[in-house]
Amino acid sequence: MEVTLLIQATDDSFRILEDARNQAKGLLDSARILEDARKQAKGLLDSTVGVTSETRQMEKQKIQTIFQGAQETKSGFQNFIVTFSLLFVFWVLLSGKFDMFHLTIGVICSIVVAHLTHDLLFANVRVGETMVIVRRFIIYIPWLIYQIIRANIYVACLALSPRMPIDPHVLRFRTKLESDISWVTLANSITLTPGTITMDIKDGEFFVHALDKRVADDLHAGEMEDRVAHIFMEADHIYIQDALDVARIYVELRKWV
Amino acid sequence: MIRSSEDIIIRTVSRVLVPFIQLFALYVIAHGHYSPGGGFQGGVILGASLVLLLITYGPRETRKHISEKSVTVFSSLGVLIYSGIGFICLLLLGNYLDYGKLSGLLHVAPAEARSLGILGIEIGVGITVMAIMFSIFFDISSGGKPPEDEKE
Repeated sequence: MEVTLLIQATDDSFRILEDARNQAKGLLDSARILEDARKQAKGLLDSTVGVTSETRQMEKQKIQTIFQGAQETKSGFQNFIVTFSLLFVFWVLLSGKFDMFHLTIGVICSIVVAHLTHDLLFANVRVGETMVIVRRFIIYIPWLIYQIIRANIYVACLALSPRMPIDPHVLRFRTKLESDISWVTLANSITLTPGTITMDIKDGEFFVHALDKRVADDLHAGEMEDRVAHIFMEADHIYIQDALDVARIYVELRKWV
Repeated sequence: MIRSSEDIIIRTVSRVLVPFIQLFALYVIAHGHYSPGGGFQGGVILGASLVLLLITYGPRETRKHISEKSVTVFSSLGVLIYSGIGFICLLLLGNYLDYGKLSGLLHVAPAEARSLGILGIEIGVGITVMAIMFSIFFDISSGGKPPEDEKE
């Protein structure tokens, strides 16, 4: 909403300046017309930013206190519930006893552990997305297993062929993923796939050891990265990029106007 | 002196695994009276999960989850549970840790009272072992200095 307003405003002010420049061509008081247009464009931009920051202020003052409080308790409670259910499923898998006594102990233990660690398991997850992420992650696993089997056969062929045509080298690439959990998922997927090992992650830069060229090319194609980005919904950051771009254009324009 | 780990993989994986390690520890404790495991083993696993937190996140973060004071309380609490159950059996005119005598108190059959009594003992042992394991590691890693002196 605010972003579209800003885009509209920058568009309009650009048009006003353009018109003024066309108009001023060949006229005597061109300087005055240009000055007027500049003032107009500046006024438009300022008022738009005023409006957007005003609404933001209002939102902050009015809603923030209620909203944030609710959000925090909700996310904390939601984390607790999700952690509890995961742990309880894990308990039932381990225990395999379905009588009242053991299920009760399981519930108590799950509550205790969930209470102690619910801030650990879902430290950086945004609210309301946990179920989607879990579902997408489960869908991701068969694909990963298929990749692992394929890479296994390939590496076995490499190792068993008499000439052993390996060409080890270290790849270094910057990922588009943003959160630590997606970095780790990608890094562990790479390590699980035979032929490649993640050696280190430094500020979003991966250092990967690859056994030969084909394996490295597979990695460079970036399908795994795209899939991991899909799990953690990190293709959505385009909108944020839009807003940042508009803000930069606005700053430039202010200087220019 | 232990600092928090810089490696993002270690940090994240231990963050995700610690709840499951702790639940597994509680499972080992709770099923100790008729499957392999028991209070000591479960307590060690529980202590190990806290040690994992300590070596990845450093003492400051770990102290938010469990403090030295609560570790001291837990280590005594476990012994209290153990000896308490033993003494209750004595008071009920049995031998020390003679769980069968608890049946009157718990309103269950003597066999079931034995099972529950052993479970209580396992819990007591588990709590103490967890607390002692963790506090030994904590004390060695901090070099015996008081917590205020630690800078990360």
